[in-house]
Amino acid sequence: MLQPDLLQLMAMGGSQTRNGDEEEGFREAAEQQEEGNPFTFNPQLLRLHRDHELFEDGDVFRHMYLQDLFMSEAEEQPAPSVSEFGCHISGCRAVFSTLDEYEHHYNSLHRHVCCSCRRSLPSARLLDIHIQEWHDSLFTILAQKQDMYLCLVEGCGQKFRTSQQRKDHLIRLHKYPPDFRFDKNRKEKGTREASREQRTNTAMEAADDVCRSEGVCEVMCSVESNQLEQEESMETHASSEEAAQFEDFSASAQTPETNTEQLKPKYSYRVPKTVCFGHGSVRGFRGQRGRRK
Amino acid sequence: MLNSFFAACGMWRLNKVRHKAGGHANNLEELRTKRREKERALRQARRDRQLVSKRLLRNEDEEQDTMEVTPGEQDVVTLFQKLHHGGTEKEAFLRPLSKALRNPSAQLTFIKLENSMHLLVGLLTGSDARCRLQAVRCLHELSHSTHTSVASACLPATPYLLTYLSGQSTKFTELCLYTLGNICPDSETVKERLLAQGIIPALAGCIQNHRHNLAVVEAAGFALFQLLQSKDAAQKVIPTVLASSLPSQLLSVLTPDPDFGLAPAIECAWCLHSLTSSSEDHRELLAQGALRQCGSLLVSLGGAVADGNTDQGVELLVCPLLRCVGNLLSSCPAETLHSQLGGVDLVAPLCELVVALIHTLPALARETAWVLNNLTAHSTESCSALLTLNLVPRLLELLPFSQGINTMVLRVLANVAHKKKEFCIQLAELGLLSAITATLKMADQDIVTLSLEVLFMMIVSSPQTAEQFVSQGGLSVLEAIQYNSDGEVRRRATYLLEQHILREK
Repeated sequence: MLQPDLLQLMAMGGSQTRNGDEEEGFREAAEQQEEGNPFTFNPQLLRLHRDHELFEDGDVFRHMYLQDLFMSEAEEQPAPSVSEFGCHISGCRAVFSTLDEYEHHYNSLHRHVCCSCRRSLPSARLLDIHIQEWHDSLFTILAQKQDMYLCLVEGCGQKFRTSQQRKDHLIRLHKYPPDFRFDKNRKEKGTREASREQRTNTAMEAADDVCRSEGVCEVMCSVESNQLEQEESMETHASSEEAAQFEDFSASAQTPETNTEQLKPKYSYRVPKTVCFGHGSVRGFRGQRGRRK
Repeated sequence: MLNSFFAACGMWRLNKVRHKAGGHANNLEELRTKRREKERALRQARRDRQLVSKRLLRNEDEEQDTMEVTPGEQDVVTLFQKLHHGGTEKEAFLRPLSKALRNPSAQLTFIKLENSMHLLVGLLTGSDARCRLQAVRCLHELSHSTHTSVASACLPATPYLLTYLSGQSTKFTELCLYTLGNICPDSETVKERLLAQGIIPALAGCIQNHRHNLAVVEAAGFALFQLLQSKDAAQKVIPTVLASSLPSQLLSVLTPDPDFGLAPAIECAWCLHSLTSSSEDHRELLAQGALRQCGSLLVSLGGAVADGNTDQGVELLVCPLLRCVGNLLSSCPAETLHSQLGGVDLVAPLCELVVALIHTLPALARETAWVLNNLTAHSTESCSALLTLNLVPRLLELLPFSQGINTMVLRVLANVAHKKKEFCIQLAELGLLSAITATLKMADQDIVTLSLEVLFMMIVSSPQTAEQFVSQGGLSVLEAIQYNSDGEVRRRATYLLEQHILREK
C-alpha cells in the first residue's frame, strides 16, 4: 500500500540513545543474528510526500471545501471497510467475510488432506484409513492374508478381508448409504502415478498444478517427491517400513542434515509420512529439503 | 464554543448557497448528485496530479439586486465600448461588466477584444477608488475562468495587484489576493512572473499588515497555498517562503478565532502541510516550534472530534495538522522529540482521535494511525504510554478495518513490541496474541506479513507465549500459511514453526 517511490523510509535504529536498561529490544536480541532468520521488522519513520495516495481522500475533501461543495453530513461519508479473510492455500482463492467462515472452510477442506493423492477427508481418522488402504504397500501385502479393512464407524473395530465386505457391513449393520462418499474404491494406481513420476520435483514452493479433493475446493501441495520417496523406501527399506511409519518423520527421513531430535508428539498421535496437513503435518511438508536424489 | 465558528465570513458562501436552494428535497438531491460527480472528478484530477481549485468571492450586497438585470444579458462588447469611450459614468458600466464576466464565453470574448485588459488595468490603477474596486471585481471574475488563456491575459495586472497587497483597503486587498490565488496555478509563465515580481514578500507583508483582519488573512493563506501547489514548488517557491517571515505568521494564525471561525486557520494549516510534505527541510519550521503548536492544537481539536463535533468542518483543520505533525515527526531524531513537542502529550489524544474517526472519516483515521506510527517508532516513552494509559485494547478494536488502517495500527503495536520484551508480554496479555491469530487469516498479504513479524517478536520474548499461541489454535494457521503463494510469508511461517514452536529448547 505504501508506494516505495514516494515513501521515504528512514530507519533510524542506530541513532536511538540507549539508556542501558537490562531488557533488550529486538535489535540486540540474539535471535536477530541467527542465521536464516527471515524476520526483518524495524520501526520506521514514514515520511509521506504530498502526492502520496494516503493523502488522496483528505485532498479531495479539501478541494470540495474550496469549491463550496463541502457537506458535513455524516451520511455522505463512506463507511470503513472491513478486512476479508482469505484461505492461505496457494491456488485456493476463497475469501470470507467472517472468521467463522474461514475456519469452517479450512477445517472442512484443507485439514485432512492426503499428500499422495490430494484427496481431502473429513476427519483425521478417515484420513488415516485412507492412507493405509490406498498408499501403503505394506497394507496391500498384509491384506492378502489377513483381515485389514477396518470398519469406518468409530468404535466398531471389525475388520474385513476386502473393501467390498466392509462396505456390505457398513450398509447392513450401520445403515450406511451404498454410495457413501468416503468409501470409494481405490482406482488403478498405474496411470496416475506414472504421469506423476514424470514431473520434476519442485522445491518447497507450492506447485502450479491443482489437485482435486473429495470436497469442492482445489488444494495445492507438492507431493511428487513424497510419492517418489515412498516408492524408493519401499524398495530399499521394506523391513523397516512398518517401524518407519510410526516414528517421527524427520527421524526416518533421508535428509542430509542429522536431525536426531525426536519431535515429541505433543499435539497429536503418530504421523504417517504421507500426511501433509493437520496437526504435526509440518514435519511431512518440511521434508522437501534433501528429498532430491 | 465551536458552534459559533461558522458565524462569519469563512463559510458564508456555502450558507448563502443553501439559502437559495430553499431546502427543497429535489434541490437537495440534485446537490448531492452534483457533489458526487464533482468528487469523482476531483479524485481523478488528483490521480493525474492536476488537482487545482479556484475560489470566487461573491459580493455580499449582491443578494439585494436580484431584481436587476440578470448577468450575461448585457453584452460584454457593448459595455467595453462604452467604457472605452471615456466619460465619467465608468462605474455604472463596470458593475454590469463584472456580472457579465461571470459567463465563461463572455470571459473569452472580453479578453479577445483589443485593449480590453489595458482598459481594465487603467481603471484598476486610476484615481477613482470605486472604479478600482469594480475593476478588480472584473479581474476577479476573469481569474475564476477555467481557461488558462484567460489567466495569462491577466498578466499585465499582476504587478499592480501585488502592489496593492501592502495597501490598507481590506475588501480590495481581499479581492486582489483571491485573484492572484486563482491565476497562479494556471500557467508556469504566470507563476514565474509573480515570483519575479515578489509575490512572497508581498504576501508576508500583507499578512503582517492585516493580521487583525481575518478575512484578508484567509485570502492570503489561500493565495500562498495556490502558489505552493506548483510542481517545482520545492525548488522555486519553498526556500524563499521558509526564508521569509511567513512560517511564523502561518503558525500564529493557526489557533482558530472563536468569532471569525476556522477558515483562516484552515488555509494556513494547508500551507504548512504543503511546506512540510513537499520539502524535506523542516529545520526552520521545527525551530519556530511548529511541532509543538500543531501538536497542541491537534490535541484540543481532537477532543472536539471525539465529542462528536465533526459536523462543523473541524476535520478540515485536523487533516492538515495531522499531516504536519506526521511529517515533522519524521524529521525529529528521537533525542529531540520530547523537547520539540514541548510537553505536549500526543499519544492518548491521537488514539482517541483514530477511534473517533474510524466510522465517520476512515481515511482520516488512517492518517492519524500514520502519525501514531511516527510518534512511537523510536520513542520508548510513547510506547510505554500506550501501555500504561490502557490504550492498547482500543487499538486492537481497529484491527478488523482494512484499506491500510489495520496495517498501520499493527505497525504501531509492532513498534511497541520491538522496544522491550516486557512490552511484548504485556501486549500478549492485553489480547494482541489472539488478535494476531485472527489477522493472520486475513486476505491482505501486508497484514499477514506484519502479523508474522509481531508474532515472532512475541514468541521470542517469552516461552509461555508460544504455548498460548498453540492453545489458541495458532498452529494450524501457521501450517496453512506454509502454503501461501508468497515466498517470504512461507519462509517466516516455517521459521517460526521450526525454530520456535516445535523445537524444544
